[in-house]
Amino acid sequence: MIKAGQIEKGTALLIKGQPFIVVDREFVNPGKGSAFVRLKLKSPATGQVLQETMKSQDNAEDITVADRDCQYLYNDGESFHLMLTDTFEQIEVPMATFPDYEFLMKDGETYRCTFWESQLLEIQIPPKVVYLIAEAEEAVKGDTVQGATKYVTTETGLKVRVPIFIKQGEKIRVNTETREYIERVNN
Amino acid sequence: MMRKIRSFFDGRSYLEVDTPILSPTLIPESTIENFATRFENPFLPSVELFLVPSPEVYMKRLIADGWGSIYQISHCFRNSEQIGPYHNPEFTMLEYYTIEADEQDSIAITEELFHALADGETADHLRPPFNRLTVEEATWQLCGVDLEHHQRQSSLAAEARRLGLTVPNEPESWEETFNRIFLTFVEPHLPQEKPLVLDRYPAQIECLAFQEGPWRQRWELYGGGIELANCYNEERRLSKIEQYYSDEYARLVTKRTDSGMPIADIDPDFAQTLAAMPRVSGVAMGLDRLQMLLMNRKSLGEVLLFPLSSTLE
Repeated sequence: MIKAGQIEKGTALLIKGQPFIVVDREFVNPGKGSAFVRLKLKSPATGQVLQETMKSQDNAEDITVADRDCQYLYNDGESFHLMLTDTFEQIEVPMATFPDYEFLMKDGETYRCTFWESQLLEIQIPPKVVYLIAEAEEAVKGDTVQGATKYVTTETGLKVRVPIFIKQGEKIRVNTETREYIERVNN
Repeated sequence: MMRKIRSFFDGRSYLEVDTPILSPTLIPESTIENFATRFENPFLPSVELFLVPSPEVYMKRLIADGWGSIYQISHCFRNSEQIGPYHNPEFTMLEYYTIEADEQDSIAITEELFHALADGETADHLRPPFNRLTVEEATWQLCGVDLEHHQRQSSLAAEARRLGLTVPNEPESWEETFNRIFLTFVEPHLPQEKPLVLDRYPAQIECLAFQEGPWRQRWELYGGGIELANCYNEERRLSKIEQYYSDEYARLVTKRTDSGMPIADIDPDFAQTLAAMPRVSGVAMGLDRLQMLLMNRKSLGEVLLFPLSSTLE
């Protein structure tokens, strides 16, 4: 048990018997009123998003989770297939559980994954990742109307808005949370 | 912004006042933690002093003394709140009290103030006219809870559970259960196109605003979804004020005995002072937040010169 005030982003909680990961936590003090914690939680099993507001003194049932490395093998359009690098055991999780992760994960790459017992709760995508540009439209000369940006598609299929000087075959660093371009990466 | 605010109130014959920031007594508010310090002097007994969480403790004395409508821009201090995009423990508050006015008159005055502050760059969510909703309407529209029919905590808790919230079985106040619902389903989803006056708060939320049936004559102003101001039609009935003082002080002492936070004394004559005020409506407005929104910024750190978070790094 922990106090709701100690909950952080990433804390795993058991709510009505189901594991949830805290994806957003905000302290709120209503105009007249004691301290509350506003939580946004995600169920790794179903992808369900839940909103909860707890008094900072409320008890919450936290669960012990463990990080293990998994190699991302591929997706078949329905599920992600991953392999635990320590036991070579393969696991399959519905893609709907981690929406849009197929655009962020690279085939063959190893990711830290959060497990509760045998259940995969979270695939930890690093906050900044370098991607190869697979497709980039040619910049139109003199086109500065859009603040001189254009869309490119990465090796993983992620569409990112970038400055017009970025070309196909180049690498860029992307903020994986906001999906925004950070900088060009020189080889 | 400061110049425009001063010129607005000066032009309407409000007197600008400058009251102490250090005070030996405070108005009891169990949910606001204080900063305490000591006055030490070799010839006098040592005295505990508090940084005021709002200048109202002195401003209301002036109103009771017949100073008329007054305003003040001052630094205020609240302890134990988080440091974040919309909070800094030291902040700038604008308080204005209008005599012979109620909270509805204060809406019109505040709209005029916002009109005076707006320029060509001002976003729509700060531009008058204000939208208006009562807490009852907002709660009904955004989550289908009819507050007037759930005046008992147990029945409101059943509504909260129906909406999927976890309400522990330990006893809690109606206000706490209300806040679970309000903070999850109402406040984050309030309409944000225009400034919003959220009016008539439930009477169970104890404060020094006039009570009218199950509601209080109190509103909060939201701009872009951020709480900017709080307004009361100030309570003046001695028995109600004394009741508030003793109940709230008891809550405060219980809470702070547990937490070990400082307990400010209350002035035993203050209830009499408040009861001596003429009819008056007071507004307290967070100016750092207002400036942040006027400048189209996302956090107080972008408008405060030295936010505490960066000072502590």
